[in-house]
Amino acid sequence: MRARTEGKHFGEPLVWLAAVIWLWAGQTAWAQGPAASTEARGRTGSLGSLGLKAGAEIPPEKIQELYRKILSDWSAGQTDQAPDELIELETAVAVDTDSRTHKILLKEEQAVIHQVGAADIEALVPIAVLHHEAYRRLLERHVRGHALAMVHTRNMAKDLALLYSEQSGSEGAKLVASRLLTSLGGLLLQSAQQLPAAEMFQKGIELDGRNIAALLALSTVYEKNAQAETAVKLLRQALEIEPANAEARLRLALNLKRLDQDAEARKLLAGLMADKEPSWVTPLAYQELARLEGDRKKGAAEAEKVLRQGIERFPDDLRLRIQLAAALDRRGAPGEATALIEKALATSTPREAGASRYLYNAVRADEFALTRTFLDENSKSRLQVLAQALSAPPAETAGTGVAP
Amino acid sequence: MTGAAGLLLAGAALAQVAVRIQSPSPDQPVFGATQVDVGVSSGEKVERVEVFVNGKLMGTVQKPPYKFSLDVGDDNIRREFRAVAHTTSGIAGTDTIVTVPVQINDEMNLKLRALFASVATFGKSNLALNQEDFQVYDNGVPQQIVTFGRDELPLTAVLLLDTSESMQGERLEAVRRGTRAFLDGMKPSDEAMLALFSDRLLNFIPFTSDKKELDSAIATTQAAGGTAVNDFLYLSLKLLDARQGQRVVVLLSDGSDVHSVLPASDVLWKARAGQSLIYWIQLGGKHKSFTSAWRDFKGNDREFDELEKAVQESGGRILAINRIDELEGAFRNILQELRQQYALGYYPTTAKGDGKWHKVEVRLREGGGRVRTREGYADY
Repeated sequence: MRARTEGKHFGEPLVWLAAVIWLWAGQTAWAQGPAASTEARGRTGSLGSLGLKAGAEIPPEKIQELYRKILSDWSAGQTDQAPDELIELETAVAVDTDSRTHKILLKEEQAVIHQVGAADIEALVPIAVLHHEAYRRLLERHVRGHALAMVHTRNMAKDLALLYSEQSGSEGAKLVASRLLTSLGGLLLQSAQQLPAAEMFQKGIELDGRNIAALLALSTVYEKNAQAETAVKLLRQALEIEPANAEARLRLALNLKRLDQDAEARKLLAGLMADKEPSWVTPLAYQELARLEGDRKKGAAEAEKVLRQGIERFPDDLRLRIQLAAALDRRGAPGEATALIEKALATSTPREAGASRYLYNAVRADEFALTRTFLDENSKSRLQVLAQALSAPPAETAGTGVAP
Repeated sequence: MTGAAGLLLAGAALAQVAVRIQSPSPDQPVFGATQVDVGVSSGEKVERVEVFVNGKLMGTVQKPPYKFSLDVGDDNIRREFRAVAHTTSGIAGTDTIVTVPVQINDEMNLKLRALFASVATFGKSNLALNQEDFQVYDNGVPQQIVTFGRDELPLTAVLLLDTSESMQGERLEAVRRGTRAFLDGMKPSDEAMLALFSDRLLNFIPFTSDKKELDSAIATTQAAGGTAVNDFLYLSLKLLDARQGQRVVVLLSDGSDVHSVLPASDVLWKARAGQSLIYWIQLGGKHKSFTSAWRDFKGNDREFDELEKAVQESGGRILAINRIDELEGAFRNILQELRQQYALGYYPTTAKGDGKWHKVEVRLREGGGRVRTREGYADY
């Protein structure tokens, strides 16, 4: 899946600048990144390929020069190097102990973006993706002591995406922006920042109501915060777009169960069990239908039946066996219960079984994989545009990016 | 002629080894954990003494005192105890006693209840008491103690260790040290099962006395995944059901259950219905409220409370550990506590098998000692 928006040049730089400032105003609420700790572990203050040191005095024009070089490296396909260079520059300039340093960084980067965006708005896409990648690497490396730089680069990615969408006005631009915000939300979720993540997903859905990854992710945030009704609404929206989506069906079933809508939940779970191609969701459908039945008066026999069917289909699933053993124990068949577990431990490979319950509660690596592939493709296809925009002569109206 | 002379010689030699089973007494019912004391008198060096129960070799001791800690099972049956002493020259002497089943009426539930009790006098563990010193009450009704044991009871333990992602690094190392301390304290007659779990079973060693095998499994397991305490605690209790004697689950976890399919109420039910003790080493101190896709804050708090209740009602206890360097001591303390318990067995005269809760009380006939044991059981 790939979207390519029509190029649209800035006719009114002041509008563009105002938009940047307006978008930026929203970032203060986000200034509580995952790395607020000043712990020294994972610092990036060491000299990198740019030779910069954290907190070093770098003249404004040098910041612009280095930012241009990084964008140029990125546009030349140096995908390993450029994000690291960006991290080096931003962590060198924006230091946690002095909030003014952030403003300096912002001002100088804006100046470059302004010029590049004025040349071709499509160039904003790879720049946004570059910032996204830098943020992803900072999280992955568990960098501490650079909260300001982390929040800065994340907000750059977000604001560039929103700006691109707004200025372009095309449907394709909305798709790109929606995916970028969704991916950022995923990164935030991975670092347990549910509220900012939810805001990203919400915005992503506003830009593209068919963004399944954002719908599912946002429903999960609501689910984790015991807001089953909202989760149900979002999941129904997701299933209108993708009726066969197994994860959405399971989540809908479990949220309906929480709302005591057992009949529909039962139907959804039975449907998942009937799916011919099993996924990580399928054993959960057996487990949860058995729980649903077991919670019902006189439902023990039905629960047992469901579990036996599950074990027949997934003989190595230790968790289904544990669940059935517990049911048998309660029913007064402790011998069979023991035999069931002992057999599982002796003959199967239980070490790998059971991860599906973990997956249901985790932010999975595959959850945003399609979104990121989409972003990569859209960034790559615009690298040439970025290269050209960087070499274009500055527009007459282009200023330094400073707010008037 | 030579054969007959040989027989005569052997007969004369046999007379030189006098063997006497001093405990248990004949014509008494015997179940579960049982201590067998054998007295041997011989003109020459005794190489070994063996004890057989109903024809099955149950233990061998090579030097005095000839004391055997055995688990003879909970079945209400006649048992033949035979002790055989062998001298270095191959001469053997024997003694045999027969214990009888408890006379019960048809309505009595045949399930032996085993209680493990710690007694402290003036704050110190007291292991000098005898069967006659104890009184057991089941729903307020005095019971006949039919089995009695103390100290050195064979132990069957499940070491249920949380090796989820949060246990990586120093914590896992500390767990390894603590577990080794526990294994080092195990006696040859003890057995342990090892279950290293997260949201799945990462490693598993069935019941064994082989400490090396257990230790090697701990050394090689890497921490990964979430936490499913309920499921694997239930599994441990279930596997202990089939064992005899003093049974215990030592659970170590730094957090609360997140991923189990079983609710804590199933574990509580199992703890109430079963006879195993649960000790929970809570690494990281008090429970912190949290939410997940599986349960909300309230649900998780409720789960935690029920799990704590299961531990307490099993007769075990919770050891809250705030620092990882306290772990090794916690494992040692548990083992020491288990070693200093009395085992009291009785057939509940009040049993109906209706699943109702039976309050249990163990009192001392005399003295001011403090007795700690499980609070009761569910009558299944």
